[in-house]
Amino acid sequence: MREWSDDAGALRRFGLALVRDDRFVFDDVSASALIDKLFRQASLTLVDCPGKDRRAARVRAFAQFIRLYRRHARRLAVDEDGGWIETPPSCRGGGSAAVGVRSLPLELREALLLVVLAGFTHREAAAALDLPLAIVVDRLTRARARLAAHMASAREAVAAWPQSAHLRIVK
Amino acid sequence: MTGRIDPAETLAYVDDCLDPQARGDFEARLQADPELRREVARWEAQNRAIRAAFGAPPRSALDLGGASNENGARRAGELAGAIDGAARPFGQARKRRAAARPIAKPRHAGPGPIARRLAGAVALAAAIVWVGLPSLGPRPSSALVAAGASAARALADLPVEFAAGDPSALVARLGPRLALAPPLAPGLRLVGARLAPGSQATATLYLYENARGERVALMVEPLDETIAAPARRSEADGLSVAAWTGAGYGFVAAAAEDADVAALVAAAGAEDDSLADAGAQRR
Repeated sequence: MREWSDDAGALRRFGLALVRDDRFVFDDVSASALIDKLFRQASLTLVDCPGKDRRAARVRAFAQFIRLYRRHARRLAVDEDGGWIETPPSCRGGGSAAVGVRSLPLELREALLLVVLAGFTHREAAAALDLPLAIVVDRLTRARARLAAHMASAREAVAAWPQSAHLRIVK
Repeated sequence: MTGRIDPAETLAYVDDCLDPQARGDFEARLQADPELRREVARWEAQNRAIRAAFGAPPRSALDLGGASNENGARRAGELAGAIDGAARPFGQARKRRAAARPIAKPRHAGPGPIARRLAGAVALAAAIVWVGLPSLGPRPSSALVAAGASAARALADLPVEFAAGDPSALVARLGPRLALAPPLAPGLRLVGARLAPGSQATATLYLYENARGERVALMVEPLDETIAAPARRSEADGLSVAAWTGAGYGFVAAAAEDADVAALVAAAGAEDDSLADAGAQRR
């Protein structure tokens, strides 16, 4: 049986992965500060739920968190340049999955993290995002394809590095 | 035989969202289609990489869907039922394996348990006398000191988020609980404020600059603390730190120079009785 602390931990982990986007939030300290603010509001949904249907309450809490974060990101983006759902301009180098996920647009990132990191089914993710199931599946497909391409290009870049240079024999 | 791969169905299988009937059908196709197997393995590896990258616990070795997915529990039940219900050769009865006996602990030569406890008590008393006596009385928590020092180390050199010179604007941005009038110390110029993670809640980090242009930080965190603790000096993260509590807040001043910290403590009106303790701790 899942407990409140499990749900809160999963929500916090999901939030940390979602808000660290290398566009507005560049480090874990800033991400934690933002999470503290959003998490406190979203977690009230978990505490105040009747307790009959824990999974439904969990979906509500994640949906609330996503709404709060979208509002926050939209406000920041309007302050900056007007656009908000788009690929972050500063995708730092590196081939890790974390960097690849951070380079995804918010609409793809939230769908992917809900399913893979938070363990929601596709139908639950659609409910949390307030979207039709087909759109969520489409976003998942695009997110996975982009992430795979990102990691493949990073691997190629590493393979192309002249590793033999330092092994040259000097007579 | 290879057929056309439906990405939506493949993803539903990888993410454990298929019902048992569809799952069985898919696994039958999976047995016959190596390309489909490669596709599934690719997405499962990506799932593992994402979960590992963000510190999520890995799914079980059988990849049953994880604790958060009700399909995992269902599939585990199906698997257990299949094993229990399988026919046994020669009509053998299923036997339960006996529980393993705990391994006996080897006996060590040396002092007995009473002597070890006595030695531990003596060591604990010595530690209390050495560390605790010079600093008896209320003191700020070590978590507060660590949070203040790490916030100063990580955030002090970043651009400020709010101008702290106008109290009404600061209250409008941070709310009345977080927005305190920052102390103004001689020799330190108030630059602005940032939000920072405190020991228990979100805190405000006021940033100053001294005459050499070095940043000095004062973290103010709302606490449910009713006991006022005087300022205590220490060193953390290579910074000189002073922490104190009072009026429902925790305060941590951090700077590279002791003089800047002392100036902030004096400007805040906090009682600084830690000089003797600092000397005692450095011994």
